[in-house]
Amino acid sequence: MVIVPRLGELEKAVMEALWSADAPVTARDVQDALADRHLATTTVLTVLGRLERKGLVTRERAGRAHRYRSVASREDHVATLMRDALDATPDRGAALARFLGSMPADERAALRDLLD
Amino acid sequence: MAVTAFALLVFGLLLAEPVSRRLATAEWPARDPVGALLLWQAIGLSGGLALVGSGLVYGLGPFGHPMTAALPNAVAAATTGRWPDELGLGHLLALLAALLLALRLIAVLIAVMVRTLRTRRRHRDLLDLLATPWPAVPGARVLDHPVPVAYCLPGLRSRLVLSAGVLDALEPAAVAAVLAHERAHLRERHDLVVLPFVAWGATAPFVRGMVCAQLAVAALVEMRADDVATACTTRSQLTGALRSMGAAAPAAALTSFSVALEHRLDRILAPPAPLSVGVRLLLRLGAAALVAAPVTAILLG
Repeated sequence: MVIVPRLGELEKAVMEALWSADAPVTARDVQDALADRHLATTTVLTVLGRLERKGLVTRERAGRAHRYRSVASREDHVATLMRDALDATPDRGAALARFLGSMPADERAALRDLLD
Repeated sequence: MAVTAFALLVFGLLLAEPVSRRLATAEWPARDPVGALLLWQAIGLSGGLALVGSGLVYGLGPFGHPMTAALPNAVAAATTGRWPDELGLGHLLALLAALLLALRLIAVLIAVMVRTLRTRRRHRDLLDLLATPWPAVPGARVLDHPVPVAYCLPGLRSRLVLSAGVLDALEPAAVAAVLAHERAHLRERHDLVVLPFVAWGATAPFVRGMVCAQLAVAALVEMRADDVATACTTRSQLTGALRSMGAAAPAAALTSFSVALEHRLDRILAPPAPLSVGVRLLLRLGAAALVAAPVTAILLG
């Protein structure tokens, strides 16, 4: 039976390959880095295209091929997520719900100012 | 007609300002968060309907009575171009105001919804790449960062997220309490409850009642999630989790943050007596009546 890997899982693997590369890489390089998965070149290109649409990857022309690189490092992306999660503005409040950010300092203060 | 319109206007303004402010400072909502949330939703809906309806009832007055007859008459007049003689500038202005208010409320709601969905999609895309599934709890993901934070990403494809800092700071039982809290948000779609209040709070930040409503609803949603969490863990586990995370959170240095945290801890440890069944029932009937009142007035007015 052929196990079809989920696209999300492939995206993760391709991003890992881009993050561990020192310089922009071609689809072929990614394919080689993930050789144990036996991916077709078209599959790698599809996944890279999806990541590009999500704004996680950029590409530049290099001769007849494209070279791909991640827009930000893994740590930068984690920092972005953490900022989202800790940012307690009402707009973000609608997007996420968090355990401690429930009655954020500035909102409580704003409420008190309004009511005093 | 003019009397009904005026009554609707006063009713809407009362709900938007003094009633909202009183409810935001009242103590009893902590004793029945669900009832209070229903009341807030009724106030929002009823206030909006009353204000828009006020302009409609006054503006459509010259076209007949009641509203069910006036509307077809107005459409007929618009198509034939034969306007009733009584139609004056005041009526047109009232109609225009009602139309603009309705459009504004709907447009802001849609704009905030779109922005929220976009933020969430972007966040989820990153999350799925960066967070690792946590085998101990199906559906939960761990983000590799030392600052303790636990949150959920609501929506059809919801996500439950813990940072590595949470796992370092908390005992397994406390982690379970945190997850129960977040699951309550997801299951009861608290994001949808909060969304209209965020949207309308943003459209009229100068109306204090609306801003109060936004903050009060956000606090009630947390109380509700705390109530659900304490039902499936123990109170001390939940407060323990809040304390450990609060001590390590970046906001902990702010006094108002610790005050808010103390409030929440107090309520979990010494919960105020729930409202009696009769009062709860009355509250829900009152919320329904609050919405029914302007609707009836508009249709018959």
